[in-house]
Amino acid sequence: MKRLLPIILVLVLLCSTAFAAGFEVPAEGYDGSEVTVRFYSQQGSTLQGVLNTYIAEFNQLYPNIHIEHTTLGDYDGVRDQIVADISVGAQPNVAYCYPDHVALYNLAKSVQTLDALIDSTVTVTRADGSTEILGLTDEQKADFIEGYYEEGRQYGDGLMYTMPFSKSTEVLYYDKTFFDANGIAVPTTWDEMEQVCAKLKELDPQSIPLGYDSESNWFITMCEQYNSPYTSATGDHYLFNNETNRAFIKRFAEWYAKGYVTTQKLYGAYTSGLFTATTGVRSYMSIGSSAGAKYQRPTANADGSYPFEVGIATVPQVSADNQKVISQGPSVCLFKKGNPQEVVASWLFVKYLITNVEFQAEFSMASGYVPVLKSVAENEVYADFLAKADGGNYIAALSAKVCLEQADAYYTSPAFVGSSTARDQVGALLSKCLTMSGADADAQIEAAFEDAIDECEYAN
Amino acid sequence: MVNSKQWKAWLYLAPALVLLMVFTVWPIINTVRMSLLENYSGLKAAGGATFNLGFGNFVKVVKYKRFVSCLKNTVLLCLWTVPISTLLALLIAVALNSIKFLQKALQTIFFLPYVTNSIAIGMVFAAMFNIVGSFYGTENEIVVTAGIINNIIEFFGGHRVNWINSGSTYTANMAVMVVYIVWNALPFKILILLGGLQAINKQYYEAAKVDSTPRWRVFTRITVPLLSPMLAYVIITGFIGGFKEYTSIVGIFGETMGPANEPLRLNTMVGFIYDSLSNNSQGRASAAALILFSIILAVTLINLWVSKKRVHY
Amino acid sequence: MANQMSVLSAKRIRAQFVRQSLGKALFYAAIYAFLLVMAVIVLFPFYWMLISSVKTLDEYRLSVPTFWPRVLMLNNYISAFTTAKLGRLFINTMIVGVVSTLLSLVITILTAFAFARLEFKGKELLFAALLATMMIPGELFTITNYGTITTFGWKNTYTVLIVPFLVSVFYIYLLRQSFLQIPNELYLAAKVDGTKDIKYLWKVMVPLSLPTLISITILKMMGAWNSYIWPRLVANDDAHRLITNGLRSAFTDTTGDVNYPVQMAAVALVSAPLFLVFVFLRKYIMSGVSRSGIKG
Repeated sequence: MKRLLPIILVLVLLCSTAFAAGFEVPAEGYDGSEVTVRFYSQQGSTLQGVLNTYIAEFNQLYPNIHIEHTTLGDYDGVRDQIVADISVGAQPNVAYCYPDHVALYNLAKSVQTLDALIDSTVTVTRADGSTEILGLTDEQKADFIEGYYEEGRQYGDGLMYTMPFSKSTEVLYYDKTFFDANGIAVPTTWDEMEQVCAKLKELDPQSIPLGYDSESNWFITMCEQYNSPYTSATGDHYLFNNETNRAFIKRFAEWYAKGYVTTQKLYGAYTSGLFTATTGVRSYMSIGSSAGAKYQRPTANADGSYPFEVGIATVPQVSADNQKVISQGPSVCLFKKGNPQEVVASWLFVKYLITNVEFQAEFSMASGYVPVLKSVAENEVYADFLAKADGGNYIAALSAKVCLEQADAYYTSPAFVGSSTARDQVGALLSKCLTMSGADADAQIEAAFEDAIDECEYAN
Repeated sequence: MVNSKQWKAWLYLAPALVLLMVFTVWPIINTVRMSLLENYSGLKAAGGATFNLGFGNFVKVVKYKRFVSCLKNTVLLCLWTVPISTLLALLIAVALNSIKFLQKALQTIFFLPYVTNSIAIGMVFAAMFNIVGSFYGTENEIVVTAGIINNIIEFFGGHRVNWINSGSTYTANMAVMVVYIVWNALPFKILILLGGLQAINKQYYEAAKVDSTPRWRVFTRITVPLLSPMLAYVIITGFIGGFKEYTSIVGIFGETMGPANEPLRLNTMVGFIYDSLSNNSQGRASAAALILFSIILAVTLINLWVSKKRVHY
Repeated sequence: MANQMSVLSAKRIRAQFVRQSLGKALFYAAIYAFLLVMAVIVLFPFYWMLISSVKTLDEYRLSVPTFWPRVLMLNNYISAFTTAKLGRLFINTMIVGVVSTLLSLVITILTAFAFARLEFKGKELLFAALLATMMIPGELFTITNYGTITTFGWKNTYTVLIVPFLVSVFYIYLLRQSFLQIPNELYLAAKVDGTKDIKYLWKVMVPLSLPTLISITILKMMGAWNSYIWPRLVANDDAHRLITNGLRSAFTDTTGDVNYPVQMAAVALVSAPLFLVFVFLRKYIMSGVSRSGIKG
């Protein structure tokens, strides 16, 4: 038994990879055969309801495609499960994913590239007799918010590995009541931000004018806005140790020393807690996830009104010509399978969810994420939702509205094994440089950057 | 006769051995295999990649610039926490066993940590040591709350200490870790030692009472020797567990394994293994695990050797 | 003169007596003070769990934590009960906890007995090897074991949650220590009487080691209650999901933020019965031990 086990394992692995190596879209598309599609996600119970409704609708079109949905609690759970599954050759068909997860699965060459499916013009017949083409029509392709769609191609070989599922970004929350009362304009650039911080610090010396939730996002977004290298999916991976990046870090370190800004790690608690505080030390601006809008709203008074109105705006930019905001949130990927019908069926399922305006609208409203399709904004229910946007009860709608308005600005970072290490390292790097003390700032910054690069290179 | 006895012993051992073979020994063999395949990654292997045989993984582990720091943290934490937690647990267990009034109630209280969720334990610590605020050491220093421990220190006229936040010292970080680990380990050790105490024959104590032996002598001459098997157990398993310390550090410092400005400062050997596993570098992780294994083995052999001389069965 | 002497010595004796009882009182005062202080320290997280479970999410996320909730959100308990399918999770965990504890006790007793009382070749070496298996971080075993259980076809069964962790060297070692303390003379006497090993084990060694066995039971049960990584990997369908997995995923929203107050309420809910059972069991078993007079 002991000796047999590894042999069996190896055989299983060999078979699965050998089968999956060359995938071609079958000439007949989906042939209507019975297939089970295993779908892994991280969803909590509220979202499962929405998803189940649309799985049922999908099954009216394709009754023989059985969706087996497993929810694994969190994104790391999904990743760990799939890594284990791949090692025994039993990966699911479809899964929620983040780019660095896909890079990991790609070590085993298990992820199905989607180009052939997207471009396929094969006609598929549904159960009700209607037809659709297997691939995406030009209208469907054009309907995706471009930055979200392009994330699927961040793997260095130009091939499409993932489809966007639901997305979020970072936005600037500000105390609109206070800004209006003091005639302060919302900063749109980092230069304006510096002036606003100085002004706020003058008005309320006890405050920390700006709280930035994620150190990593801050660093990476600045790289994008400056058009300065961060990482690359091919060749030399870690490119973030350069003049421009050291310069903006130095600038923010000066801000920190003046007491303008803090981050979640440096503050030691949620920066949203600082923003929603109404007494004592507080901040007047907070940059955080658009999906977490409800956390940026102060606790309601006894009569249901809010102590102040929250305003939401695009995060500050380096220049108006090169607007960049981060794209976050899950995508979905397909896995290679021996049976091409499984792959085609999985694709039909994914395509159904991500191109279905009603699903995207409903899922977004339930989750706080933004839809990946432009036309969702015209959907009646979603348009109603957006129309209610305000800085109080409908703060989620306000956040979604801002996200949709900045649709051209989304960027995603290159994905490779080790891209998450780079992400962690630049976040730590930012914390470290902001809090440094002593004489030679430049030398310290340089040393910190080199250290971060070393850690990245070692991990890879 | 001798043969049948041998045979019987193996019969008693069989269920455990069979299960251990499948779920422990086989994985260990696999660990050794992975450590000897250079740059081995399970996922790459699943993708059909092959790996050279060699000691490259071990070299890579030792060459890591924080390797010595990982080792040092691991050893330091062990050396501090095992003696302190064992001594405290022993005192508590003996004290609990020596009282009558409130004994049942107190025993129940010391049992409560078992039904406390680990997430709650992490949260409490944040509230105790975490300074919420910013810009420590600058002229703009703002402290929203200094945490319970600092409140107590300031109440007694001391100056607050930056325990775990950005800018804190290594000593302060380690002090917090020691307190946290000791605290975490206490309930288990109390449970074991209390169980051991309850199994001690009361006659020994009655004999001591008749002789009116001083308490201290009863403690050192009766309690400790009779409890020595359990003490040995608690110490040896304490060391084995201590060398594998990792989750407690994540509990307090998060994945950065150090204050915000000094990431990875408190990283340990198992922390290193986790990092390697998250990049699917099982070869490197296995090599690190075997290095750690040889260290723990050496310490345990010393422990066993000492306990053989000191433990009374 | 002599009279004076005796009065003096009587005084001295009385003084000594007073000093002694005063010393005794002080001694006990110190013991109680020590125990109470330690109790407060050890209990703090438990207290924190309870107050967190009745806080609002807003209050929980405040920068300055509150020690007493401003508003008592008893509603958290209702949402905890309705959000997570607590009933099913509870039953699954009970089945796995009870079965694995019982089987594990049997295996542990047999193995510890062999190591404590029986003679066989290579005993010392085997025991050392067993100890050595504890020294490799178990996280490395996960992928290999996942392969094994997949080969066995055990995914999403109770078996996979119970069998792989039945043997714990930790507990075998603990029980062996306890067994070794039982005087050898008892065993030899039983041998002379012709008592079978298994009968001796069951009639003498097990009752004498009850306190240790209770400790093992508690630890193993709580292990089932808190186990997380392995169950999530191998049994994540509704029919077999265990409590910790269920609790972690039920209260996480899309952004990955957890509704901790409700989660804490759920934890408190599912721990309560366990706690009562243990307190009751412990009292019951311990009183049985002292009544039958076999203690020590």
